[in-house]
Amino acid sequence: MPATVTSITPRRPSGPGRVPEPLPRRPFRDNPRLILAGIGALVALLVAILTVANRTPRLSPDFLTEFVLYALSAADLTMLVALVFVLARNIVKLIVERRRGRPFARFRAKLVALLLGMTLVPAVLVLAVGSELIRTSVDRWFNAPMDEILTSANQIAGDYYHERQLLVSDHSKRLARALSAADLASPDVRPIRDLLAPDVTLQRVQMVEVYRVGPATGSLPGLEPVVDVAAPGLPPGYSRAAADRLAAQALTGSSDTQSIEALGSSGDLLHAAAVIRSNDGRPTGVVVATDYLTGDLAVRSRRMTQAFEDYNQLRVLKRPLAGVYLSFFLMVTLLILVGATWMGLYLTKRITRPVQMLAAAAREIGAGRLDQRLEQQSDDEFGSLVEAFNTMAGELAASRRKVERSTVALEQKHVEVEIRRRYIETILERITTGVVSVDAVGTISTINGAAARLLSLDRAIVGQPARAVFDRADLQPLGALLAGAGRAKTEPAAEEIAIPREQQELHLAAVATALVADNGAPEGVVLVLDDVTPLIRAQKVAAWREVARRLAHEIKNPLTPIQLCAERLRRHFAGGPPAAKDLVEECAATIVGEVESLKGLVDEFSQFARMPAPRTVPTDLGQLVADTLALYKGIFSDVRVEQRAAPDVGLVRLDAEQIRRVIINLVDNAIEAMERRGQIVVEAERDRSNLVVRLVVADNGPGIPPAEREKLFLPYYSTKRRGSGLGLAIVRRIIAEHGGSIEVGDNVPRGTRFTIELPC
Amino acid sequence: MQPRKHEGTKKTKRSSFSCFRVFVVAFVLLAVVVRAGEPDLSVTPLARDGQVLVSFELSDGFTEEVRDAIQSGLPTTFSYDLELRHGTVTWFDRTLAAVTITATVRFDNLTRRYQMSRTLDGRVEDARPTEDQNAVRRWMTRFEHVPLSTTSTLEANGEYYVRVRAHTRPRNAWFFWPWDRGLVLGRAKFTFLP
Repeated sequence: MPATVTSITPRRPSGPGRVPEPLPRRPFRDNPRLILAGIGALVALLVAILTVANRTPRLSPDFLTEFVLYALSAADLTMLVALVFVLARNIVKLIVERRRGRPFARFRAKLVALLLGMTLVPAVLVLAVGSELIRTSVDRWFNAPMDEILTSANQIAGDYYHERQLLVSDHSKRLARALSAADLASPDVRPIRDLLAPDVTLQRVQMVEVYRVGPATGSLPGLEPVVDVAAPGLPPGYSRAAADRLAAQALTGSSDTQSIEALGSSGDLLHAAAVIRSNDGRPTGVVVATDYLTGDLAVRSRRMTQAFEDYNQLRVLKRPLAGVYLSFFLMVTLLILVGATWMGLYLTKRITRPVQMLAAAAREIGAGRLDQRLEQQSDDEFGSLVEAFNTMAGELAASRRKVERSTVALEQKHVEVEIRRRYIETILERITTGVVSVDAVGTISTINGAAARLLSLDRAIVGQPARAVFDRADLQPLGALLAGAGRAKTEPAAEEIAIPREQQELHLAAVATALVADNGAPEGVVLVLDDVTPLIRAQKVAAWREVARRLAHEIKNPLTPIQLCAERLRRHFAGGPPAAKDLVEECAATIVGEVESLKGLVDEFSQFARMPAPRTVPTDLGQLVADTLALYKGIFSDVRVEQRAAPDVGLVRLDAEQIRRVIINLVDNAIEAMERRGQIVVEAERDRSNLVVRLVVADNGPGIPPAEREKLFLPYYSTKRRGSGLGLAIVRRIIAEHGGSIEVGDNVPRGTRFTIELPC
Repeated sequence: MQPRKHEGTKKTKRSSFSCFRVFVVAFVLLAVVVRAGEPDLSVTPLARDGQVLVSFELSDGFTEEVRDAIQSGLPTTFSYDLELRHGTVTWFDRTLAAVTITATVRFDNLTRRYQMSRTLDGRVEDARPTEDQNAVRRWMTRFEHVPLSTTSTLEANGEYYVRVRAHTRPRNAWFFWPWDRGLVLGRAKFTFLP
């Protein structure tokens, strides 16, 4: 028997906390208990049928024709309909499955047809032969000898009873005639008894009862018992009721004046009544004569009659009885056919279902659902096949899980690498250090924003040859550095390169490093650029501060003795000749004046060298600008100083004194540059997107040539005839120590525009 | 050729038509003969003294089969279902009253006497013995003035009919299809005139 495979079940993980799901209910065909129960029920039905069939002759005709035959016919019709339905259903199913190309459809049809054919032919043959046998057997029940014997026996018994009854009737009539002259109303019944006694004594009758007509009860005349004479051999237990009833019936004129009273096994009493009439024909009484048939005789007579009746009843009920037997037979045949059909279908399903399930499961696995398993329920060949299939599916699932895990790990790594790449890209983009990478064939593969900005290159150069890009005049030193690094391949090549940029010099610390793979193969060059211009600028400022400090120290010390000496010379020659006095006076005044001037110069140097760190506090920049510009009110008549402070500038953390000095310095420079004629605009605004406060001092003077703009902030550089050249240097230093920046540019339409940005 | 063929076709058609006519006539005759031998139930309703009384007689119902069954000693019953019905055009006819009357006879082959009884709706109405087979036939097939219903439920000048269904027990049923083969139907219309 093939394996029983009930379903394709996806395997579910079974954890410790998982509640096991109830097993699916197994269908009838896969449940041996149910099958056994069904077979048991079938056997019980057959036994019941056989039992009923055995008892059929003993069943009452009404029950037989009104119930059994109906029930059997209904059962037969039901089974016939069921058989036709099952066959029709399977034929339709077969047609549909064949049209749909379902596997095993032909096989199933063939198997069912084979089993049905194997069963149908013998079953129908047996039915035909059995039916004929039943018909013949029923006909054989009724043969002529038996018919004659039973008829004769019944005739004899009936005749005997009839004769005895006629005899009793004659006796009753004779006695009635004899009693017509008797006085039934007389209380003395002896004459009547004497008249009757000889009949009883001579056993012509066994009992005689005499009634006289009494008072009427309703419309019927009444009867009163007068006397009864009984033989001693009568069985005990008989009653007068039958005789009384018969007497009353006879008195009414009924033609039915005889009756038989059955005493069971004691025998029968034959009663006959006759009306006693007076001489004028008036009924005066009734005499009932009774004869007794012994128990043996009565029983034997009854048996003979019963046998005759049974025989005739069988003949009368021959057709329903034969119908019952044929129905039994047909039922068994139909049961066999239905069973064969069902068995064929069952076997077919048992054989094809595992293979179909295997095919379906294989299709599922082919579709990628590797958790499909078949339930193994037997240890035969199909069971082994199912086990092998499940093993294969398990191994496939395990392999797939491994691949999936690897894929997940790979994807995870890819994501990490991508994150890392984006992180590095972000760093490269955000850092101020420029990075340019060139691959092994000399093509630019990467350039970050800082490099593009420092080198004034478009980022679209990625993919272009580095030689062509760095062939530009200002970038040639970098091209040479890259070429050198590519050739060296070992140590990084570092160089500080100054590149002209917008009439200024951009100082770059460039390091070119050759990239070498683990196997020594060249992978290109990476060029790192750092803008060291502010550093160099700071170095210069520091150097100038040192110079200023030394100058102040070295120059200031001799100035006081020089001034004192000049004063002594003036006082000494105050009393001298006028010519000498005037000369000394003039020389002393010149010396003192120049010394004072030198002192002022030294003080400025000293202040530049010892400028304190700013002490920043939240300050209203707009108010600070307004207060500072108020100092110029009314001083320069041809100079218009205008403030344009945005209302949202607000508080900025700064050193108010130092920033005031910056504003004054810039405004003073502007006034000087405009030769005290023109317009100065001071703007203050907050740039929230860049988190800075922008302070602009613009004039409409002659402007500053671009070549001089960088030098403006160097110490001791001045375009004024009388200037120390430290003003803008101090301005830049104050702004730098506030963490800000200062730029100079052209004002539109003319003039100069200083832009200060302070963090806020 | 054509006319001859047409003539042949006509002859064949005429012959077929004749065969069909013979078949139809034979079928009708057979039906009449079969019908003539079948039992018939004549019903006579009568509205009198505030009651609907029904007299009916089953002719040809006391067949040889029935006689054999009685003579075999089988208790044999003729059961009659009487229904007073009012016909409607649009729906099923309405049953106003119904009674079941049975006549049973049992023959004692030893005493050669028939024991007869009648019941009305299961209630024994009469019982008597007899030795006369004609009396038995009459007892079983002829009923006079069986009370079916009171006239209070009837409408004046209303059209009604009485339907009687008769069947015998035990049934001499056929194999495989025992249902109602011996059923005999009879009906009679009447107009209720109070």
